[in-house]
Amino acid sequence: MAILLDENTKVIVQGITGKQGSFHAKSMIDYGTKVVAGVTPGKGGEEVHGVPVFDSVKEAVEATNAEASVIFVPAPFVYSAAMEAIDAGIKLLVIITEGVPVKDSARIRKKCKEANVQLIGPNCPGLITPGKSKIGIIPGQICMPGNVGIVSRSGTLTYEIIQNLTLNGLGQSTCVGLGGDPVHGIDFTEALEMFENDEQTEHIILVGEIGGTGEQEAAELIKEKITKPVYAFIAGNGSWVKPGKQMGHAGAIVQGESGTAKAKMEILSKAGVVTVRTPQEIPEKIKEKSN
Amino acid sequence: MGMLYEYEAKELFRKHGIPTPANKLYENKESIDEFVKEINQKTFMAKGQALAGGRGKAGLIKKVSAEEAEDYIKSIIGKDHKGKPIQQVMLEEPMTIAKEYYLAIMINNATGNYHVLSSSMGGVDIESVAKEHPEAIFRQDLPIDFEPLPYQFVDLGKKLGFQGRVLNQFTNIMVKMFSMAISKDLTLVEINPLILTEDNKLIAADAKVVVDKNAYYRNKDLAQLKSQIDQYTELELEATEAGISYVELDGEIGIIACGAGLSMATCDLLEYYGSSPANFLDVGGGADREKVHKALDILSREKIKGIFINVFGGITRCDEVAHGIISAKEELNIDVPMVIRLIGTNDKEGIKILEENGFHAFGEMKPAAKKIVELIKGGN
Repeated sequence: MAILLDENTKVIVQGITGKQGSFHAKSMIDYGTKVVAGVTPGKGGEEVHGVPVFDSVKEAVEATNAEASVIFVPAPFVYSAAMEAIDAGIKLLVIITEGVPVKDSARIRKKCKEANVQLIGPNCPGLITPGKSKIGIIPGQICMPGNVGIVSRSGTLTYEIIQNLTLNGLGQSTCVGLGGDPVHGIDFTEALEMFENDEQTEHIILVGEIGGTGEQEAAELIKEKITKPVYAFIAGNGSWVKPGKQMGHAGAIVQGESGTAKAKMEILSKAGVVTVRTPQEIPEKIKEKSN
Repeated sequence: MGMLYEYEAKELFRKHGIPTPANKLYENKESIDEFVKEINQKTFMAKGQALAGGRGKAGLIKKVSAEEAEDYIKSIIGKDHKGKPIQQVMLEEPMTIAKEYYLAIMINNATGNYHVLSSSMGGVDIESVAKEHPEAIFRQDLPIDFEPLPYQFVDLGKKLGFQGRVLNQFTNIMVKMFSMAISKDLTLVEINPLILTEDNKLIAADAKVVVDKNAYYRNKDLAQLKSQIDQYTELELEATEAGISYVELDGEIGIIACGAGLSMATCDLLEYYGSSPANFLDVGGGADREKVHKALDILSREKIKGIFINVFGGITRCDEVAHGIISAKEELNIDVPMVIRLIGTNDKEGIKILEENGFHAFGEMKPAAKKIVELIKGGN
């Protein structure tokens, strides 16, 4: 089964004629994703990698019945592109673009909730159901189908963890990158519930960061509802972290004691989560649980 | 984070019709004597301008007479406050205080809504009020796309104890704060204290504003403010211009990594092996040759014992990144030990090229981190 995405999901690429959009559309197609249309206003009628380009998401949806869309347009145009996708009836919206103003992200998130749209991102790597389909920029070659679900706030750190799993013979059901911005679409709790209800997933990895409260909310949910084993790594767990300094992601700001990696790891441990100090320890922990 | 200096925030307040005390800024270019005379007032609030908090405790805010002003300004100009020298001092008209309030609006990251935090006990640290007098704190959530109108804040104003004309002043200030926050993409506007004067006027005696850096492109006036440049060190500023996130730290090993999460995990791992990061440097999701070169250029000017490069080639191929590292090392005369971890398209070729040129290169992160720590500790 896996979550959110499978081989039948029809995907639109917004910004397909741009450098990023074109590159990643190709890599999605090569991986097996059903990329049915691209959208770039003013370039309707063209083709990119054999995919028809439309002037609007509405036209693309009417022609293809696509239910998912991935946005690669530059940050100043993300708000309009997202609103357009929601209005056109898209049900799974993935925003890869980084640098989106937080007010725009919050408005997009609100509209998605009202319209029952699953929003992933912005500033995220997207998601992949190995062997079936991917939306976004997670490199397919490091993944392998299996029973480990991953939900993460990071991009490249997620690749690091996926690569380690695959090298250790542990495949993945679905890997979801939620995005590193302070305001983003689906959060840890929603993804955890999806993995809990997914038959294919037997282990769940949670990759967090300093800042915010998402990991604390996840711990609450895990205590009450999650029966599958959960493993967690929190980036920024060293003593080198300077409180108040922003480490790249807008989301990774240490806000008081509750936002530190140490506090998050403690709360997660108390909820029964296996916490590790380096991401490379996760495969052995999973193997221990499996035996 | 995009914090403004108090005088910049107050200028923004005035533009949006939020009342503030009259003030004038001393910028360390003019004669202090003439500056004070020009204002022609008996007493002032003198306030050293700094982006870090705790100005009051550091003695950077003081009520002074016209005679004392010159000496006081001289005493705090150039004084270090949490790593940065005070460059400007604001002289402000003192207020007659009847009561002090706290008022802040922000975007609540967890809900995505606007959030008002207010208190009838202002002028002190709001966190301690929240702990000791939670009954004096009042909150209100508003949708992120709402249109601010005075009636929405009548209830809140009454909870804070306002009535009559002061209540109207309050609802007006709220509307103006929100209009400003929405139009200028502010993630925090804080007034502490909001003063009720003896003649019943509400005035923002202090002002703290944080702007959303991601919205600089549509708020160019804010992006160019002195505070937005002063918040970085020179190297940090140079990195920002090249699209690199760079934060100076106190450790031994210079780091170049891809993506915030992996960069943090890289810092964590060096500490795990008994060393420490000299910086946090994130070249973004996919490294390319130019960015890695620029990153090495920045690191080559820092005092470090070694360099650890942990990159993921996204759109760029790893063999190209490897060539970039080799030429950068030569051009920049880097003589500290370097270890490179490469992953992504053509990573095996990249590692081979690096090894042939005498570099330590790995496909996995842990052995690579271990190696650089060994090298700087004097091993082989």
